[in-house]
Amino acid sequence: MAIAAPEQLNLTEAPTWGSRTVDCFEKLEQIGEGTYGQVYMAKEIRTGEIVALKKIRMDNEREGFPITAIREIKILKKLHHENVIDLKEIVTSPGREKDDQGRPDGNKYKGGIYMVFEYMDHDLTGLADRPGMRFSVPQIKCYMRQLLTGLHYCHVNQVLHRDIKGSNLLIDNKGNLKLADFGLARSFSNDHNANLTNRVITLWYRPPELLLGTTKYGPAVDMWSVGCIFAELLHGKPIFPGKDEPEQLNKIFELCGSPDEVNWPGVSKIPWYNNFKPSRPLKRRLREVFRHFDRHALELLDKMLTLDPSQRISAKDALDAEYFWTDPLPCDPKSLPTYEASHEFQTKKKRQQQRQHEEAAKRQKLHHQQQHGRLPPVQQSGQGHGQMRPGPNPPMHASHPQAAGGPSHHYAKPHGPPAGPGRYLAGGNPSGGYGHPTRGQGGAYGSGRYPPQGRGTQYSSGGMPGGSGPRGVGGPNYPHGAPYGSSGTGRGSNVNRNQQQYNWQQ
Amino acid sequence: MLHEGGSDEFHRRPDPSADDVATPRVLTILSYVLEKLVARNDQLLLLGRQVGHDNELMSNGAGGPRRVLGKNFNAFHGVRAPNISIPKYLERLYKYTNCSPSCFVVGYVYIDRLGHKYPDSLLVSLNVHRLLVTSVMVASKMLDDAHYNNAFYARVGGVSNAELNKLELELLFLLDFGVNMSARVFESYCQYLEREMLSNGPTLKIEKSAINSITTSTVDDATEISVEDIDHTSSPSQLLD
Repeated sequence: MAIAAPEQLNLTEAPTWGSRTVDCFEKLEQIGEGTYGQVYMAKEIRTGEIVALKKIRMDNEREGFPITAIREIKILKKLHHENVIDLKEIVTSPGREKDDQGRPDGNKYKGGIYMVFEYMDHDLTGLADRPGMRFSVPQIKCYMRQLLTGLHYCHVNQVLHRDIKGSNLLIDNKGNLKLADFGLARSFSNDHNANLTNRVITLWYRPPELLLGTTKYGPAVDMWSVGCIFAELLHGKPIFPGKDEPEQLNKIFELCGSPDEVNWPGVSKIPWYNNFKPSRPLKRRLREVFRHFDRHALELLDKMLTLDPSQRISAKDALDAEYFWTDPLPCDPKSLPTYEASHEFQTKKKRQQQRQHEEAAKRQKLHHQQQHGRLPPVQQSGQGHGQMRPGPNPPMHASHPQAAGGPSHHYAKPHGPPAGPGRYLAGGNPSGGYGHPTRGQGGAYGSGRYPPQGRGTQYSSGGMPGGSGPRGVGGPNYPHGAPYGSSGTGRGSNVNRNQQQYNWQQ
Repeated sequence: MLHEGGSDEFHRRPDPSADDVATPRVLTILSYVLEKLVARNDQLLLLGRQVGHDNELMSNGAGGPRRVLGKNFNAFHGVRAPNISIPKYLERLYKYTNCSPSCFVVGYVYIDRLGHKYPDSLLVSLNVHRLLVTSVMVASKMLDDAHYNNAFYARVGGVSNAELNKLELELLFLLDFGVNMSARVFESYCQYLEREMLSNGPTLKIEKSAINSITTSTVDDATEISVEDIDHTSSPSQLLD
């Protein structure tokens, strides 16, 4: 386990960023496009290395350089770990414009700014959503251990990720898992005294303390999300697919029991506790509902999905859990199957077709059962690698039908609502809503299933008591797009709206 | 003392609704430190020009002001120094942008980092204003949960939106995106500023009551205030006397 102590990083300085232009790379193909901008697979001409180039959108003049991009860059600059996405450099593009005299425009940023990431083939959600995909137990242990190792590294370096979810966990064809999308991340101090915004983390993975409106929190928020992902991998589908905050809390309380001063000392002082506490106490049913899980898995999950953040297991302790040290052991990432590269960038037409599909599916009001068709892993233990290539679609199946299989690629996550002006308070998600009916149909393309982060704002606009108002910068309007897409306008495309509300004009 | 009771003074704004909006001491101290630095560097530059000129006269060689002044801050250079003084400019930024006082410390740290990184580029009266508005704005983007956008800073700072955007990128790249700051570094800068203040005698004791009754009005309607013209607008300083 590679763990660096805080303050022991970055002894060597990388070459100055921004000193090179995008011309050092040959764009191979566009592998993603959303409202956050374009992502390209590209080859560094000098070395031949394949990278992902993510263009930072800067078309909102009033906002200047996107704050999510600044934050992501400054955080990734100090994080270097095998389970954290590597931001290699920032390159500029001078643009092709010339001035009146035909000289090249002096503005070297005119053509845009690109973040250069290491190239990754898949994301966890996209991979898991492949029809017939069934992860083996050693595989799940392997992914979970990498996730926890990367997260532990972030936490010891005082960084909260604040958007842990499957589509932000990138996986390469060597079985390595890396945390990506640090557009919502921020540094924290250990005393937890700072007031932070509670409008972070995609709804389904958001912990109860944030849903109850706390503004003092720490690494435990990420651990809740990890618990949700863990359960999702074991269960085969998301366990808390709430459509809004109240429903989200209800789903949590139904499984984890209702919070009270006994199981969560101090909970009654959290701002919105009285608004959300269930009318009658609910019993914790987690161990009962998931009784078919492996004993050690259930034990660990129970500790991750602990209501009281102060009692929730830390990443470090989770890595020491029996689960990771009993048979079947986590497999070596290198032993994992490789999957068909899935960056087939769909043309606009294809995406439109997909959208039409989604619309049609929404009209049919499919049920969740139909939506989440992922198979849970085989729960028996001891089979180990025998389960490695299960399912009807063996990995590397060259004739994997694209339409059915769907690329599992994170880049290809489409479209939030069209980018545009307007205050986020006004906006829901006009295009997506909570229609998750695409889940299981189109792999990662069905990203509409993610509740738009913008939902959280309803609290502020609706005058939730004790809320910190709509001022939280880390608010719901952060983009929740594809991992590389964090710094643009994001899936939510509302990052700019956030700031516009402080606009002097308004 | 600046650091009395921790650095709270840097973090907390006075209640904006209160009539008494005092200029935080950090602004006064910063003004003092920056003015001193700029005066020294202006002098150096002048000297450099003379030396360069002399060299040119004597050797007919390629001397010149560039020998003293590096090019890194070129984007921040105005044609001539703005009329508004550093203290008044800082007050103006503070009053209109509502940013926390700590942004000024962090902004100063950015400028200081640039100074260390590009030792041949000097903070002079031709670039100090643009460097200030840009670094305070970036600091505010880093620190403050609620902050104004670039367009607003541009109007307060007297530069165009497009120019400020360009300056922002310049600053970020010059800093190599090194906008992180640990609490420890922040504290040590606070202490440094405090010492600077103390070592320069009691004449600089701040009259906290000096800036009473500033109405928190909106920014003037004039768009694209050039820094040169900023003095004609109702900057807070005019309300002082």
